[in-house]
Amino acid sequence: MSETAATPGPRTPGTDAKTRAGFLGPVLALILAVFLADMTWQRHVAAHADACTAFAADRAAVAIALADPAADPAGADPTAAWAERGIDAVGLRADEVPGQPGYLDRYHVVNGLGLSPGAALDPQSLLHKSIADAALRARAGDVRPTPLRIGRDGATFDGLQRAAVGNQTPASAEVRVAVARVPTVDWTDEARAGRLLLILAFGGACLFWLPLLRRRPLRPWFGPVGAAVALTLIGAALVAAESLLATRVFRWAEGITQLAGQGAALELPSAAAVFAAPVLPLVLAGLAGWYTHSRRSPHRAAYAYIAPALVGMGALVLAPFAFGVLLSFMKHRQGVFTWVGLENFWRILSSEGQSLTDATSFYFTLGVTVLWTLVNVVFHLGIGLGLALVLREPTLRFTGLWRVLLIVPWAVPNYITALVWKGMFNQQYGLINHVLATVGIQPVAWFSSFFTAFSANVTTNTWLGFPFMMVVSLGALQSIPRDLYEAADIDGIGRWAQFRHLTLPLLKPALFPAIILGSIWTFNMFNIIYLVSGGQPDGATDILITEAYRLAFEQDRYGYAAAYSMLIFVVLFGYTLLTNRISRGVEEAS
Amino acid sequence: MAARTPQQIADVKKSRWATQIFLLVFTVATLFPVLWVIKMALRSGQDFSTDLNPLPTEFSLSNFADIVGDPLFGRQLLNSLVVSVSTTLVGVFLACTAAYAFSRFRFPGRRAGLMAFLVTQMFPGTMMMIPLYRILDVLGLLDTVPGLVLVYGTTSIPFSVFMLKGYFDTIPKDLEESALMDGASQFTIFWRIILPLSRPAIAVTALFSFMTAWNEYILAATFMSDERAYTLPVRLQHFVGDYTTEWGHFAAGALLVSAPVMALFFVLQKHLVGGLTAGGVKG
Repeated sequence: MSETAATPGPRTPGTDAKTRAGFLGPVLALILAVFLADMTWQRHVAAHADACTAFAADRAAVAIALADPAADPAGADPTAAWAERGIDAVGLRADEVPGQPGYLDRYHVVNGLGLSPGAALDPQSLLHKSIADAALRARAGDVRPTPLRIGRDGATFDGLQRAAVGNQTPASAEVRVAVARVPTVDWTDEARAGRLLLILAFGGACLFWLPLLRRRPLRPWFGPVGAAVALTLIGAALVAAESLLATRVFRWAEGITQLAGQGAALELPSAAAVFAAPVLPLVLAGLAGWYTHSRRSPHRAAYAYIAPALVGMGALVLAPFAFGVLLSFMKHRQGVFTWVGLENFWRILSSEGQSLTDATSFYFTLGVTVLWTLVNVVFHLGIGLGLALVLREPTLRFTGLWRVLLIVPWAVPNYITALVWKGMFNQQYGLINHVLATVGIQPVAWFSSFFTAFSANVTTNTWLGFPFMMVVSLGALQSIPRDLYEAADIDGIGRWAQFRHLTLPLLKPALFPAIILGSIWTFNMFNIIYLVSGGQPDGATDILITEAYRLAFEQDRYGYAAAYSMLIFVVLFGYTLLTNRISRGVEEAS
Repeated sequence: MAARTPQQIADVKKSRWATQIFLLVFTVATLFPVLWVIKMALRSGQDFSTDLNPLPTEFSLSNFADIVGDPLFGRQLLNSLVVSVSTTLVGVFLACTAAYAFSRFRFPGRRAGLMAFLVTQMFPGTMMMIPLYRILDVLGLLDTVPGLVLVYGTTSIPFSVFMLKGYFDTIPKDLEESALMDGASQFTIFWRIILPLSRPAIAVTALFSFMTAWNEYILAATFMSDERAYTLPVRLQHFVGDYTTEWGHFAAGALLVSAPVMALFFVLQKHLVGGLTAGGVKG
């Protein structure tokens, strides 16, 4: 626009300079982002090393402390026993003291230092610190005997004196340590792979911001879609790199724990910085690129408006979704993810070798879910529509009051509804059994058979679900002109026929989306199943989504549960395609 | 309408009475669990009420006093408030401009974008929960309020976009066109005309976002394991968990926690039905 005002002469170099500036900014940002990504990743790996060092020192201390001299047979070299457990180590050695057999001294020194079995090293004590330092050096592969600084810690020296040499003063304070050499962790490969992944992802992500590629045929793809793809890429790469590293470290830590016993948990450093630091220049680059290169694009404003939400969705929905897909191809055991390909899907679809009617079988659960959805929607619609027809009577009084009171169940938060109804169905103190008792029926154990537990769930969900259908039906009924009914009355058409041939066809357009919506809600109605029946008996009343939750968060089978969730999504998506919801929704929206 | 005989009129009157009685019985049955929570809250004991009379017979505030007097309650109330308010702000802020773009502009990727927003509405909860749990774990955000806000953001953003887009669609374009004639820029129009006009819609969307976050149970229960990080729904569930049954405390807490949002719901529910059935968004 401004070009038209400029004279032809200086215009060309001006545009050139502008193009160059627009090109340079993103390129600089790209370099900065990759640099920051690399730097933060290196620091992240270093932080892992620190965490592992602390962990190893802690375990070494535990190993030393757990060593119990009384348990070892006389004359045996205790270090041999520990070596069998994989820990080379342990103990202190007063080599300088003449005439002392080494291993015995180790013991006495250890015990004399106040390291009772099971105790941890005292960070205040210089001597203990020396032991820990020696342990650290040993972890790094340096197993040479290390001089132990006793220093000015008089009390400790006394303890050493008495214990180590049987009340003889040692010739020198140089006590040697042969310390817990815990197997070291080698993550060179993982660190390198992670670095490469990150650089590639950030580099690749930047390409989407680079104006170079935003030429005509490709432009739509390098606008918001590109931004989303880029964010997904970065998120996925970070998660992949991080899980590679964490997998290695956790495996190592698990090995040590098996050898040295329990101690403090391994605390891995947060990866937030790795993600946050390089994203900033990227965002700036995106803005710069946008500003300089889509000036003439007619859609610039539109993209600018959706950019914030898109970035949010990319980070919060797309990245986790991509990670979820990744997880569904993995297997999880004790913090360690390993790639298993399609095994999860295969196991789910083959019911893990169980019979198809087993309560844990995918097909059984799917069947329960479909039944659950169907029954609920029928009840919701039946009761809701019925009430709407009653409330619609033109001569009825207090309709406003009834309407408000009948909406109450919808307003109650559904977790509260679920908890209250669970209490009502309780076998011992529940109100429902109490009522049954007054009419002489034995108390029912509601959650011990499939049918009763399922009915309890359905009752609860019907209670909270019919008002929605009622409100929708009322709204739709109001839009039907009364003249039609009057005409029908005059023609002598009966009530049922009026309903069948007049009301229903006119309600359909309003009810259809509500039914679709209601069925998807019910299909995913987690709280009711989880809190009312809790899947009892034996997971039989679990629907797909509660089953997936249990798999992930009660059985720690994250990969399997992720695959399970994907299948649920496929089922839902298929259902929605079937009802043509998406295209209709988009058409309405367009 | 044909003239009615006295007999017919009497029939109609009778059926009206029958309808009122039916509605009365049905409503009492429907409201029974609610009344009965109120009754339990107002009793002093902790056991489950088995009295068939749903009206309160005792008026003790001891359960409420216990709840409010618990030092953790203040902390958890603050958690719930901060989480819900932040979720709402994040959702509405990000959604305002996007909803406007989807409503007013025609641009490449618009259909795909709308479709993507719709599809995210169909994600089963666990599909997002599992990866989010691992990611928050890696980022060190488990058991923190910002972590939960991020998790709630995954549903509040698309929800807000759809609600607002539905409303923006109803604002006539003439206004903008005349403003454009007068030389206003696109952003001025959005900022000075559209946003002020949509204040009620934004308020409604924000309140629904707030209520959804306020009433959310399972995500909070999964992502928050430290008692000090709980939100109120998680706390309430613990009153009647597997090992404790403090029904009095539960009932009093449930009333305290849900009464304000229920009141809000009554004021706003008409807008929700319109927004939901137009946009096809799950609550």
